[in-house]
Amino acid sequence: MFLIDCPYCKESRDQNEFSPAGEAFIARPQNPEELSDDEWADYVFYRTNHKGDHWEQWVHTNGCRKYFLVKRSTISHEILEVAAFGEVTSENKS
Amino acid sequence: MRLRNHNNDHIDQSESLSFIFNNRSYKGYKGDTLASALIANDVLFFARSFKYGRKRGLMGSGVEEPNALVSLEIGGRYTPNLKATEVMLYDGLSAVSSSNPNSIDFRAIIKPLHRFMPAGFYYKTFIKQKVWALVEDSLRSLSGFSKAPTEKDEDVYDHIFHHAEVLIVGGGVAGITAALEVLNNSKTTRVVLVDERAHLGGELFNEFKSDDSAISWHRGSINKLLEFKNEANSRLKLLSRSTAYAWYDHNYIEVLQTNATGESLFAGSTQGARKVLHKIRAKEVILATGAHERPMLFETNDLANTMLSQSVRRYLNEFGVISGKNVILYGNNDSIYSTAIDIKSNEINCKVIDVRASGNESEIVLKAIKSGIEVLQGYAVLKAHGTNLVKGIEISKVEMQGKKWMLIGSSKRLNCDLLASSGGFNPVVHLDCHCGAKTFFDDDSQAFLPQKERKNRQVCGSVSAIGFWKDAVIDAKNKAQLTLVSLGEVKKAQQGVMSENYLDYFNASQFFMPIEILNRPKVFIDMQNDVTTLDVALAIREGYRSIEHIKRYTAMGFGTDQGKTGNINGIAVAAEFLDVPLSEVGTTTFRPAYTGVDFGAMAGREVGGFFDPQRYTAIHDSHIDSGAEFEVVGQWYRPWYYPKSGEDMHQAVNRECLAVRTSLGMMDASTLGKIDVQGGDAREFLSRVYTNAWMKLAPGSCRYGLMCNEKGMIIDDGVSTCINDNHFIMTTTTGGAASVYTTLEMWLQTEWDDLDVHLSSVTDQFATVAVVGPNARNLMKVLCQDVDFERDNFKFMQWRPGTVCGVDARIMRISFSGELAYEINVEANYGRYIWDEVALAGKQWNITPYGTESMHVLRAEKGYIIVGQDTDGSMTPMDVNMNWILAKDKPFSYIGRRSFSISALNSKDRFQLVGLLTKDEGVVLPEGSHIINNNRSSIGYITSSYYSPILGRSIAMAQLKGGLSKMSETVLVKIVQEKQGLKEIPCEVSSSVFYDIQGEKVDGND
Ligand SMILES: [Zn+2]
Repeated sequence: MFLIDCPYCKESRDQNEFSPAGEAFIARPQNPEELSDDEWADYVFYRTNHKGDHWEQWVHTNGCRKYFLVKRSTISHEILEVAAFGEVTSENKS
Repeated sequence: MRLRNHNNDHIDQSESLSFIFNNRSYKGYKGDTLASALIANDVLFFARSFKYGRKRGLMGSGVEEPNALVSLEIGGRYTPNLKATEVMLYDGLSAVSSSNPNSIDFRAIIKPLHRFMPAGFYYKTFIKQKVWALVEDSLRSLSGFSKAPTEKDEDVYDHIFHHAEVLIVGGGVAGITAALEVLNNSKTTRVVLVDERAHLGGELFNEFKSDDSAISWHRGSINKLLEFKNEANSRLKLLSRSTAYAWYDHNYIEVLQTNATGESLFAGSTQGARKVLHKIRAKEVILATGAHERPMLFETNDLANTMLSQSVRRYLNEFGVISGKNVILYGNNDSIYSTAIDIKSNEINCKVIDVRASGNESEIVLKAIKSGIEVLQGYAVLKAHGTNLVKGIEISKVEMQGKKWMLIGSSKRLNCDLLASSGGFNPVVHLDCHCGAKTFFDDDSQAFLPQKERKNRQVCGSVSAIGFWKDAVIDAKNKAQLTLVSLGEVKKAQQGVMSENYLDYFNASQFFMPIEILNRPKVFIDMQNDVTTLDVALAIREGYRSIEHIKRYTAMGFGTDQGKTGNINGIAVAAEFLDVPLSEVGTTTFRPAYTGVDFGAMAGREVGGFFDPQRYTAIHDSHIDSGAEFEVVGQWYRPWYYPKSGEDMHQAVNRECLAVRTSLGMMDASTLGKIDVQGGDAREFLSRVYTNAWMKLAPGSCRYGLMCNEKGMIIDDGVSTCINDNHFIMTTTTGGAASVYTTLEMWLQTEWDDLDVHLSSVTDQFATVAVVGPNARNLMKVLCQDVDFERDNFKFMQWRPGTVCGVDARIMRISFSGELAYEINVEANYGRYIWDEVALAGKQWNITPYGTESMHVLRAEKGYIIVGQDTDGSMTPMDVNMNWILAKDKPFSYIGRRSFSISALNSKDRFQLVGLLTKDEGVVLPEGSHIINNNRSSIGYITSSYYSPILGRSIAMAQLKGGLSKMSETVLVKIVQEKQGLKEIPCEVSSSVFYDIQGEKVDGND
């Protein structure tokens, strides 16, 4: 049961207010029709399943309903950083 | 027996309590546990063992107890599988053994036949022979556990949330000290102190007899704690009779507080809870969880009155009871001497047998010898004698040769009626390991200790092998100082220095595991599951190496005690047979829950009417007045059918369906999810999330849409209405509303933040009454005068604003039955009014309210799918024969589109939605039945199946492998019929549109 800081509500709330929404920074391709099956499958199905510090999306389902970014250790489950979309991007993420 | 002239704070001899155990009545005192009261009454047998049905007695005095499982009370207060050691006595208590030791036991009879059932016995004998199903019931009923409750729990359970800076688990010397240190050195820090016993103090009470300073320390500390507790705006919460059983992520810890008497736990509260589940979120945790004693191993070490030494001592000192008059203490550490001295001081005969050779004796050993206790050093117990009860022991000299214990010389016999042993202490590391912390084996203390460093957590006292109580005080202060530093309350931690005796009871010599003893029969490691040393040896012979596998093969530690006394010994036994160091074997994984948790406590108040939210439409009361039966869809209570007197469901549904097809029906469609979509890019947004085209849908029109995910699979469907170019109302399936809304928000927030679109859920804001049937237009003309209902002016899939019975409404001409139909949407508050007005005005056409069952029949007759019933998350639009809804020329590659061209989704062999017509028109196939091929293997299954009254025959929809190219073929569906058993029903594959194939009914009659 995590304690998550919602970057919009600016409050630490219990995990049961939130839902996980998968790995972060997986952009929908601009040109799906031009991709090979493998490239498309890479976007739809393949995830890094990273062991260690991991950026992921969460949504404050029973709160402000905003999606936001969470950097969490998949080993200790420690939450190291939270950010609104745009504050952190795949280019400037730590 | 109870000792005379025994005084202490725990037992109130002025208050006598009556109780019943295994159908006999006894007396005990206030402060007794069920176990201590039974010892006082000379009850020695508590249970029969799980596998062999051996009679067993008490072994421990707390949560570690493996044998004495009882069920408490009967009926609605029945609680199974409690440990007699945890149950506080109350007047009128009634308990029975989980497996009665006094009844004849089938296992005790079959035992000679099998002589010895090895590990894997049940598996090899029954499951491999495929007769398990035949014997399972009778074997399960023999197992040593209580039966599950059959009645509704009468008791109340509660949940309480706590937020604290510091949570301290364990109220012994270390825990008390840590709490005071934190409170004394901070003005703001809130502390919760949790302890599983009735009195704070842990094992310190055992020192009272020999150490006056222990008494004064205890009195002073408890008084200080009470001062903190009684302060205004107290920062201290004391939870006694409470066990912290689980530690989840981010320092979230669950604690179960018990009050077996059913009295209120909280003074002044009018409604008492039997148990309270405390949910604690703490910044810092201090573990002072103590240690459990482990027994010594020898042959038939399971005879009744073979106990743990420290437990015997606790029963003696805290409750004034002991179960023997001629006691032998046996072990490999100094703790047995302390027990012996306490026993001797009560003028009870006792001897000590120590496996350690003489020389280098500590003070306590010398004190015992000096007091006249007979001490045999360098001796081992080989076997306990007795039939069910220990009567004596066989001992032999023992010596450490190299690194192995060897027996030497011949054995001799000693008499005793109580045998108490100590093989060392196992720190209670369980809680610390729940979130992934590791243990390490410490040679000095011969124990697995908690991981040294862990964020926001300290350990102190005997859980980190500090055995001497005065050093535990120093240790706890040190650790509390570190906690205060971590909280920022203190700049520099003050650290005291412990004495040289800090190990005290932890100064055990290495595990005593001579192979000559381990190779004997009936050396029990796990009492509850009857696991012996030879079972471990067998597991290893059969190739198991990992302790996790050995555990599972032998069932060691599987019981309700979770191997608290047995597991570490089991690891040592495995190490001996594997001939590797203990540290290399390691421990099994510690998982929540540390002790049993009642389902009632987990549920708390969320039972009965509070179990799940119930959603009612604005028209609900009217449905109740009409005598509707309800079906729960999502959390909605939807009318299922409206039986008239004497009708069963089948008859009611037939009547309702025929009314819709021949004249007029009405339905409450308010539960469909409704999402208001507004903004300059609303149209573009719909085009992206639905498979079909939306750019040219004119205001005043509606359109059906199919929604897929990126995998190309159908996730939802529904009709969206164009209010104007910047405003649409999307409807979703009743069950899918929340997840569709969340998914749409995801696309908008994470991918398309450039789109000018805003979503709001308006499901509850509108009530919807569907008016369905050939007479629908006639009725609408009566209800609403400001809309032109002529068929060419108000076409199918259009909507009009209008005034219905004086109420502003949006009227949509859409149909989920194939009949002429209008859906009247009004502000929810008018829902009931409009429903009743429609019913009244419709009387001349015999308007018939219908529920979800008839709705399903009507839509199935037309082959309309229900997402989630005819599809299961692995169906594409092509699979359900809806290629027509896939736009080819939309510029934006809408969600799911790219996946449609993946080869796997175009295989001819996919499950495809078809209709099925049974050759025997009267047979209605059960939904879920499998379609089989000539080899009798499954090639599909039935998704929807009904009796169609208008067609006078059964109809079904099915997912069939390659079904769309099997039209008119005959397939077999396997069903189970009452009394006739398995049958194979021949069916013809057909289109899934069964009625009005040309779609002529939708415009009505005129
Ligand atoms: Zn929020």
